[in-house]
Amino acid sequence: MSSFAKRLIQIWNALLARPIAVAALTLTVCAAGSSTAAAQTPPGSRSGQEFRWAGDAEGGAPFVEADPARPDAVSGFDVDIAALLARGLHRAPRFVMITFTSIDQSIARGDAEIGLSGIEDTPARRAALSTTLPYYEFREVLSVRTADRARFRTLEDLRGRRVGTLAGTIAYDILLRGGRDHGTKAVAYEDDVHPYSDLVLGRVDAVLLDNVLADRRKRFVAGFTIQPDTIAVGHYVGVLSPANAPLRDACNEILRAAMRDGTLERIFRKWNVWNDDQPKLHARLLAGEQVPPVAGFDTSSSDAGTAALSPLDATRRYLPSLLRASVITIVLSCLSMALAVMLGVLIATGRVYGGRAVRLVLTGYVELMRGTPILLQLFVLYYGIAEAIRLPAFVAALVGLALNYAAYESEIYRGALEAIPSGQLEAGRTLGLSERQILTLVRGPQAFRLALAPMTNDFVALLKDSSLVSVLTVMELTKQTQIFATNLGSWVIPGTLCAALYLAMSLPLAAAAARLERRWKAGTA
Amino acid sequence: MTTPVLAVRDLRLRRGTREILRGVSFDAVRGEILAVMGSSGSGKTTILRTIAGLERHDSGDISVDGGRAGMVFQFHCLFEHLTALDNVCLAPVHAHGVARPDAVRRAHELLAAFGVDHRAHALPRELSGGEAQRVAIARALAVDPQVLLLDEPTASLDPGRRSELSALLLDLARQGRTLVVATHDEDFARACASRTLRLSEGVLQT
Repeated sequence: MSSFAKRLIQIWNALLARPIAVAALTLTVCAAGSSTAAAQTPPGSRSGQEFRWAGDAEGGAPFVEADPARPDAVSGFDVDIAALLARGLHRAPRFVMITFTSIDQSIARGDAEIGLSGIEDTPARRAALSTTLPYYEFREVLSVRTADRARFRTLEDLRGRRVGTLAGTIAYDILLRGGRDHGTKAVAYEDDVHPYSDLVLGRVDAVLLDNVLADRRKRFVAGFTIQPDTIAVGHYVGVLSPANAPLRDACNEILRAAMRDGTLERIFRKWNVWNDDQPKLHARLLAGEQVPPVAGFDTSSSDAGTAALSPLDATRRYLPSLLRASVITIVLSCLSMALAVMLGVLIATGRVYGGRAVRLVLTGYVELMRGTPILLQLFVLYYGIAEAIRLPAFVAALVGLALNYAAYESEIYRGALEAIPSGQLEAGRTLGLSERQILTLVRGPQAFRLALAPMTNDFVALLKDSSLVSVLTVMELTKQTQIFATNLGSWVIPGTLCAALYLAMSLPLAAAAARLERRWKAGTA
Repeated sequence: MTTPVLAVRDLRLRRGTREILRGVSFDAVRGEILAVMGSSGSGKTTILRTIAGLERHDSGDISVDGGRAGMVFQFHCLFEHLTALDNVCLAPVHAHGVARPDAVRRAHELLAAFGVDHRAHALPRELSGGEAQRVAIARALAVDPQVLLLDEPTASLDPGRRSELSALLLDLARQGRTLVVATHDEDFARACASRTLRLSEGVLQT
């Protein structure tokens, strides 16, 4: 998702759930407390230098949140842990705002030294990056509408039902597996706010996310219940680039010390996330026990295990889901374009033939649609009017794209209609043709030929803009690619496959349009 | 011969502050060819367009036998996306409810009568100026108007083609059509007009 899309989600979420607005791409955090001089210098400590750590302030409290009192600062337990690590390294922490789904790649390319933002420990992360000790243990829990509390207790109870979660998480993998085992339908969201609002609205029947996120949302949204059963157990870790293993080891030492002396407990208590699971985790770690990334869910056959696959195996494994996503993309684009063309023709006809009031209204519509971001229009259509009209995600995506593109199409058709010489229209009138017949038999067909080339351009643009609808939980090609890349820890293969699939859709289309144009030209040359 | 097929009474037309027609009156009878002459801007084309119903006049009356006059435009204005044949067939089929096979047969007859039936399947862009004009006349006649209006029909024709056109128009008049031809071509008017109306600054000169 683009940073612009991310910003919109941030603004939306701020409006929806939190009184504070999230801002600024890079925020500086002052270290809490003064650094204490250590007898020995741990690896990675460069006194006086900054300790650049990456997080996503959109994740919000208790992880990383823009401070309501000081919008230029962030707070949260991950912020306190970053400060703790920085203090141990005798460096000053510096926060770098990175979109949550890009933190792994950003760390790998060196934008920051460590990523801390409620990042899940997975086999893929362990394989692709250096991960710290798991510093927090969470439980994946099901949330259901309070009225469904008795009938939806487990994933098995949700056969054939839609279950929402964050894309690219362990919970998402569990739901994909649930789809194979129990017939549940995974619905991937870009943030952790809308799964719960959609749960209450009835768009999904359950949400599977970790208990920290579920508890947090419970404070803002009424009408849902968190089921007591644990679906799986996972952990938060810090991620560093594979080359940064010495710094990782230094961070682990600092974390162990903080587990021993109670600093970590104080941090988690401060943010109300301390519970009985944490001392057990800390005891196991301090005893030198290896803690597996996930318990209660076998990740070996899940998407989170793909990092260890060869490029060929990874391709073979993901191609079917990318092809399925391509089908969504092409079907969505074709239907949206068909609707946009129909609406565009009506708008253009109204603007050319209509009275003053009609022209004014239609001009207003066109300018509104062209002058505001399509992403905002999609949000309004799906979330904004959900209280009044609850459109299914695919329908909202289809209608949103069509309404937006209709404005552009109508301008093409208006131009094309006005380009037909008036003499031909007058000739039609003297022959006794009605204005409607002149439009459909004389003006329209010629205008359509003029409009074909720009229409083809627009269709190719729409094919690519359809990637925006992933914000409405529609799993199209770009979103599927992003999940693939997150699991694989690389964009090379997913990006190549994705580009190839888009080209495979757009090139034949351009070729068909060019052939049609040539045929018409040949007839008139 | 004495009942007028076309009657124009005290036609007045103003565009903004400019008076284009200032009380024009004339009649035309069956089989007559009227040439409307005058310098550029004198209102010749406007009279034709007003009779054809393309311009709204401020006052006066126009009565055309059969209701509607056919018109042949100076630049032909053929439908660019249709063949010559379809240009001729379009209005009979869609505006007058003629069955397509009948319309096609009639269109071929008209195109043949004007010597362009071999171009029936050509698109307007593929036709010469003379051919396009004949197709435009065939198109206008396909809906069988009693009055045919022609705007500067000789403008794009060489002298040889002009005499062919004169012969063609005289033939139409003999068949009982009434023709009103706006032209500034004196020779052409002399060759085929039964009567010449001279227009100057929106009024007919007597």
